[in-house]
Amino acid sequence: MATSSETVSETIAVPAKGKAQGEEYFTYVEGVGSIPRDIYKHVQSDPLGDLPRYSVHIVIQHLLIFITFLLLVFTGLPIYFSDVFWAPVVIAFFGGIDTARLIHRIAGFTMMFAAAYHVVTIVGGTLRKIYNHEFDYKRTQIPRLKDLYDLIHDLKYFIGIEPYRPKMEKFMYKQKLHYLAIIWGSLVLIAAGSALLFPDVMARLIPGTLGKLLPQGVIGEESYSAFFQSLARLMHADEAVMALIVVAFWHWSNVHLVPGRFPMQWTYLTGRITREHQIEEHFLEYLNSLREIPEEREYMRNLLEELEIESSHAMPPADRQASSAPQDVAVPEDKP
Amino acid sequence: MKRDSALRAINKHIIICLALAGTLLPLFFGSPAKAADEYNCLMCHKHRLIGRIDENGKRWNYNVDEAIYNRSVHRKIECRDCHTNITKIPHDPITETVNCANQCHIKPPFAQEKFSHQKIIDLFNQSAHGIRSTDSEALKQAKPYCKFCHSNPLYYRISEERVAYAETLRRCFNCHPQSGVIQAYMHITHRLRKKTSRSSREIVQLCAKCHQDTALMKKLKVSATAQDAVETYNQSIHGKLVRLGSQKAANCISCHASSGLHDIYKKDDKRATIYKENLLKTCQQCHTTPTRWFVGIAVHPKAEHKENRLIFFMSIFLRLALYGAVLSMVGLMLFETFGRRRDGIKLVLRNGTTWRGQSKPGSKKGK
Repeated sequence: MATSSETVSETIAVPAKGKAQGEEYFTYVEGVGSIPRDIYKHVQSDPLGDLPRYSVHIVIQHLLIFITFLLLVFTGLPIYFSDVFWAPVVIAFFGGIDTARLIHRIAGFTMMFAAAYHVVTIVGGTLRKIYNHEFDYKRTQIPRLKDLYDLIHDLKYFIGIEPYRPKMEKFMYKQKLHYLAIIWGSLVLIAAGSALLFPDVMARLIPGTLGKLLPQGVIGEESYSAFFQSLARLMHADEAVMALIVVAFWHWSNVHLVPGRFPMQWTYLTGRITREHQIEEHFLEYLNSLREIPEEREYMRNLLEELEIESSHAMPPADRQASSAPQDVAVPEDKP
Repeated sequence: MKRDSALRAINKHIIICLALAGTLLPLFFGSPAKAADEYNCLMCHKHRLIGRIDENGKRWNYNVDEAIYNRSVHRKIECRDCHTNITKIPHDPITETVNCANQCHIKPPFAQEKFSHQKIIDLFNQSAHGIRSTDSEALKQAKPYCKFCHSNPLYYRISEERVAYAETLRRCFNCHPQSGVIQAYMHITHRLRKKTSRSSREIVQLCAKCHQDTALMKKLKVSATAQDAVETYNQSIHGKLVRLGSQKAANCISCHASSGLHDIYKKDDKRATIYKENLLKTCQQCHTTPTRWFVGIAVHPKAEHKENRLIFFMSIFLRLALYGAVLSMVGLMLFETFGRRRDGIKLVLRNGTTWRGQSKPGSKKGK
């Protein structure tokens, strides 16, 4: 008896492809039951958000970045495109070019403050979690190989090869990509912007001797500080335009226009995410929510009962041994 | 009795008010300014339609509007001080142009001789724009003269803004001896206290009139960097800010001339503000702590970065990265929406769900 049940559980653990998907459809959570992967189609969600996602610090930082970003764009872009017809109009709105430049600098420093505030929040929060033995790198923005697999899985789902979306952590592949891009962009914009604001300081910091580390002939006739100034001019403008276009066409679409987020995702104000969104795109984080929030556990248990989903689906093999034998047969039938 | 005293009090008030009005009101109605017109030139030139059509069909307007002339910088100058070849009225057709080096009947403070623009003209003649005997005929033709830039016709109204005291004084020393002029300046209202010259944007436009004309510049055999000087300046931060109306950013003469404004030399001339060893001082006018590395930074940057391969390739790479990122991101977003829509998601979260009309999970899932 014992040997036969061993073989059964092994066939479930390392099975053919179809069977593995059937296995993944249900996720068993102790004290809740077996949660189907597409339960997000049946949950109740509040548009303002049901489950915590961001702390108040992150909300404040987002608002700071939000305001300063717009100010920086409106005062910076007309300078870069100074010869187009709307540039003088926008500049006149800010009270002339000299005032607009002052606003640009103040907004820049405020954004740098927000960035520093964010670093303090992240480092402090991480240290606190490590101290409390709560830290889990999977719930952070650190990129993993799984993100690549998730992307491939998701693309397959969009085509129609995969029946369900991948089970993703608190931050999914596109958020991690965007976060890395923001870190890179902020560093470039701060460094290049400082070089533009304090060209004389930059010229003293990067004297000819430092530049000699670069191979001969690459930089040309100019001196090295002149080279870095040209680089700063190029990078500040190009990175800023890139940031604007990514925010305008990608970020705003994702939080405003995409189905389920229209007309607006309220997370940036409430710090909370809707239940259906978290289960759909951050399923593994939802499991953490179930573990941490008793009310959510209660809600899901009631929902599963209401939908008459048996809790014996996808139980751990140890529990399955005790449960009735036909259960293993029933699982592949659930496959689409 | 009581009523009488009240009336008296009111009368007293009225008298005070009238007296105040009588003394203060004339201050608001100044007598109209009068131009210097000893020889009564305005007798004819005041007529609006005075003028002629020359052999080439060009229309000449000889009208002088007194009200506007009175606000011009030359308002105190007699007509004949400049138009010296007019000796009788009515005068003969004028063939000679005005010579700005003439002495006119104005005496500068603390000076014995009559006023003249001679000093500035001498300075100008030494500059890169001065005509030399070695110049080719085309170059002589192309070089500017006083009125080419100082096109302040009598009917052109100048805008007057106040300028800083120190800046005004710096310009005074171009003509006046240092001794005495400060004292005079402090006591006498001087026209230089008001900004009567062009704005930065107008100065760039003025210089661009010739220097942007690439065909002309090529014909006159100016150096390659000077040929596209206006274009490269307009791409610099100075040029962009000036184009947007900045009063602080450097215009052409901020760097290419000293406070004399007319001493523009070629960059290999030791007197030039842009001569290698003078650059530090020139940049110092605005940038507080320039170094020898600082002055190497390109003031006239080229957008294409042709001479700087690394920057050139980086700009191409950044452009490609921009298009690649935007296309792939927007593509992914559209693709994602397509997939989720097919799976049955609606646009708006309503009645607690975006997935309305879904069958019960566990029984027949999927599509």
